[in-house]
Amino acid sequence: MATEVVIPMLGVTIETGIIVEWLKKEGDQVKKGESLFVVEADKVVAEVESPASGLLAKILLPVGQKVPVLTVVAVITDPGESVPARYLSGAPAAAAAERMPSPVAAVPMTAPTALPAPGPVRAVPAARTLAREKGMDLSGIKGSGPAGVILHKDVAEAAAAPSVVVSHLARQASEKAGLPLGAIPGSGVRGRVMQADVARAAAEAAAPRLGKIIPMDRMRRIIARRMAESAFTAPHIHFFSDVGMDALLAFRGQILPEFETRLGLRPSVNDFLIKAAALAIRDYPLLNAIVKGEEIHILPEINVCLAVALPDGLITPAVSNADQCGLAEIVRLRADLVRRARAGALTVAELERGTFTISSLAQYDISHFTAILNPPQSAILSVGKTRDTIYLENGQVRSARMATLGLSVDHRIIDGTLAAEFLQTLKAYLEKPAFTFLHV
Amino acid sequence: MKLSKEKLLSFYRTMQTIRLFENRISDLYARGTVPGLAHLYIGEEAVAAGVCGALRPDDFITSTHRGHGHVIAKGADLKPMMAELFGRRTGYCKGKGGSMHIADMNMGILGANGIAGGGLPIAVGAGWSAKWRGTDQVAACFFGDGASNNGTFHESLNLASLHKLPVIFVCENNKYGISVCQLKHQPIIDIATRATSYDMPGSVLDGNDVLEVYEAVVKAVRRARTGEGPTLLEFKTYRWRGHHEGDPNQGERYRTKEEITQWMEKCPIQRLAAKLVTKKIASRQALDAIDREITTAIDAAVEFATQSEFPALEEMYEDVYASEDMAK
Amino acid sequence: MREITYSQALNEALRICMTEDERVVLLGEDIGCYGGIFQVTKDLQTEFGPDRVVDTPISEAGFVGASVGAALTGMRPVTEIMFIDFTTVCMDMIINQMAKMHYMFGGKGKVPMVLRVNIGAGRGTAAQHSQSFHSIFMHVPGLCVAAPSTPYDAKGLLIEAVKNDNPVIFVEHKRLYNTRGMVPEESYRIPFGRAEVKRTGKDVTVFATHALVLSALEAAEEAARDGIDVEVIDPRTLAPLDKDTLIASVKKTGRLLVADEDNKTCGVAAEVSAIVAEDAIEYLKAPILRNCSPDTPVPFSPPLEKSFMFGKDRLLESVRRLMAYA
Repeated sequence: MATEVVIPMLGVTIETGIIVEWLKKEGDQVKKGESLFVVEADKVVAEVESPASGLLAKILLPVGQKVPVLTVVAVITDPGESVPARYLSGAPAAAAAERMPSPVAAVPMTAPTALPAPGPVRAVPAARTLAREKGMDLSGIKGSGPAGVILHKDVAEAAAAPSVVVSHLARQASEKAGLPLGAIPGSGVRGRVMQADVARAAAEAAAPRLGKIIPMDRMRRIIARRMAESAFTAPHIHFFSDVGMDALLAFRGQILPEFETRLGLRPSVNDFLIKAAALAIRDYPLLNAIVKGEEIHILPEINVCLAVALPDGLITPAVSNADQCGLAEIVRLRADLVRRARAGALTVAELERGTFTISSLAQYDISHFTAILNPPQSAILSVGKTRDTIYLENGQVRSARMATLGLSVDHRIIDGTLAAEFLQTLKAYLEKPAFTFLHV
Repeated sequence: MKLSKEKLLSFYRTMQTIRLFENRISDLYARGTVPGLAHLYIGEEAVAAGVCGALRPDDFITSTHRGHGHVIAKGADLKPMMAELFGRRTGYCKGKGGSMHIADMNMGILGANGIAGGGLPIAVGAGWSAKWRGTDQVAACFFGDGASNNGTFHESLNLASLHKLPVIFVCENNKYGISVCQLKHQPIIDIATRATSYDMPGSVLDGNDVLEVYEAVVKAVRRARTGEGPTLLEFKTYRWRGHHEGDPNQGERYRTKEEITQWMEKCPIQRLAAKLVTKKIASRQALDAIDREITTAIDAAVEFATQSEFPALEEMYEDVYASEDMAK
Repeated sequence: MREITYSQALNEALRICMTEDERVVLLGEDIGCYGGIFQVTKDLQTEFGPDRVVDTPISEAGFVGASVGAALTGMRPVTEIMFIDFTTVCMDMIINQMAKMHYMFGGKGKVPMVLRVNIGAGRGTAAQHSQSFHSIFMHVPGLCVAAPSTPYDAKGLLIEAVKNDNPVIFVEHKRLYNTRGMVPEESYRIPFGRAEVKRTGKDVTVFATHALVLSALEAAEEAARDGIDVEVIDPRTLAPLDKDTLIASVKKTGRLLVADEDNKTCGVAAEVSAIVAEDAIEYLKAPILRNCSPDTPVPFSPPLEKSFMFGKDRLLESVRRLMAYA
């Protein structure tokens, strides 16, 4: 029986997706669990796995088209089975479109049958000639002729635009970033613009300059929307506490050689923070809750997010069940998440499952700061720089290394005393590391 | 008819030239020197010699696939003829026509023709042309018993007779269209009887007697030149060789050895030679001397052809049109 | 210059040639006192006598072959075959004799004759009197094929055909005989192998023959109202074919429609399309389209015959299809 492949639900906040690449082509045999295509939605690029084994009989959605999640994008058939007729004509996303709550959302969808079928580039000879003369790659030019054939005019227009040779990924990246390709210097062969060039240009473009107007890219728009939503929905209150770091740093110093030689891992201060926060959350589950209407949902898993800065924004992958993980596991998971965050290879789940967030600016000379909640979460921990400080102990001046931790909470559900108690507990866990992390 | 010694000897020379030329082609063909098809005229020499002997150099002939004899009798030069059969650029047609398309407009040879019956309307046109141009040229048209069944035979006789055109229709009835004998291809014995249908004289004659041929054609030519119209002459004759060189068993599959032998006994050249010797018009030695001259000429023609070059490959594209700017 | 019909223009050309050159004779069925069934030889027998304007028997192989023989021996016959359909009974004379003699004889012997034929359906004359298989002759090396579309071209091309030393198949068109146009009274020759750009344009090249040249010009006017600039090329002779003008136009427009009344398979349009595909494909902005007759015999029944034929509307539709590749 034919199995429909859909753009999966990508988390509660994601409504649409774009397939950026098909990893399999029509006619390929696929196994259940094998990656079929890469989908991009909001801040995430995710590989989607095949829901069944069989023949990838029909691809209904080509790359580059934004459709609602749950849109049927392909059909997998059993051996000997033909593609059911309903998939062979008409708009493939029709079923999904019906599910769309907003009628407006269905309008921008064009009939995918009008798009070029996967296969060799179709172009009229004159277009090929012109492309050859101009050294242009036809695969990067969109055809406007019947059945999507590339016309002479299409190439001429593309040629009239600043002549750039560009990689497929770079073109997608530039469209995503809203950057004109012609303005990006290419570092590839014969000046070919590569994805990295686009990223660099995007970073440069983002650098503010007086009198410059910078259009928000997609990621920035999402961050802006989410931060505003958070700031104006959840009343924030902020708490600060100085935490003595000597014990923790000494403890880290003691275990580091063994971690490195035996496990090949290098724990960071953040890893201890993740574990300690998770343990503190166990004591105060309300810090692991979300608001849904008039209900407070205390979430079953403690998944601690770590904010990772990227050139074009911030993302927050989560170490799941951090309270149950040993320190080594946390180190491993955190390192992997950060690496993949920078490579743009996080899964939707990793981005969407967080229940509590840690944001650290410890590498800057920032003593402490307030943070905006990562919606729909209810608490976020901000971490300032660890600094040398002097203090009085029994009338004696002593020095210590201290860090100021800030806790911002959704005051709708978390009272000041609860927040204070949570922060005190966390402070205690961090200042007595041997006990806290004993359960390694 | 009283004929001069010169005229009589010229018949011998023409017939023997044809015979020795064809013998040489037979030999060369067997050796692979002559490509394509060679339809030999051996045994029928009296018809060509008698007909062409009665024509002027400015008269026209149209010939057939079995045309070497007609062309030689009409005065063709052996060298370019041999060269054409060899496919050389010095040939009559620059090597582009070959055995079946030899033509020489200066000698009134409007071409041998590979299509049976193809030459008849063309001869009619040549005769018509003479009439239009006001000359007294005539056109003799060679064709075989096989072609007499083609529509063009009937159309041509009709047109020529209707307009009283100076055309002599020369039917060489050698009894076979390739392998099909006359009895199997037409319900008549004498093709000349068809002349009646077109209101023109028709005669059946011995095609192996050059003098009889000549006399008949002289009468037909006179009639033609004086504007009285065409004549159909049927000459009974026989080809000794197969339809073409390489024809299996040289045709013995469809005719008997006895039949071939009988006809060889009526050899037109021997018949004339015997007459010339008997009537003391020429001695055997004199005739032998003629034979040697002819052999020398043929040797020279073979030498000429052998020494000649093949056409350059680009010459293939020449002569498609009469003016080069028409070439596509 | 004055306005006369296509058939009058042809008649005038014949009269001029016969007056200038005594070698020119006319042969054909019913061309004498009858004047030819399309009146092209009207009054010429009276003027030049029955010896030079000869009513032939129904004997196409005979009189076409005789024309070949006459041409080979110094005459310049202009021979009429009543309908192109009847050339089939004298095809040996045309293809094996007339076309090939100059070549077979190694350049010795010219065949300066004209074989006049006509094409075109639309007169209810069914499958053996309405054909348009002129492409066959274009296929034969050695033949020139003329295809006039206007009275002016008819006269100039026919005079050239008569004076030319090559055998010419002169293809007239039944529906054009009564069309009118400006024609000079004097003698003039239109050289073979020179197409005429009957209308210049930059968007689409319509390469049209015979009556379809007129349809193409009408279609071009209508297309112009939509802002489509159509170039109409009339080859005037199919052999030799003016490839240069064709290619130059296609290089300019990048779009080609070939309109020819022969049926589609292996016809003029197929050849023209192939030339462009071979020599100018890199300039094509759109597929090459062909408007031709269906691959069927010409049907008799009026609605069927009407459907068999085509003109301005079909051409316009094709032009618009090409402009979808704008």
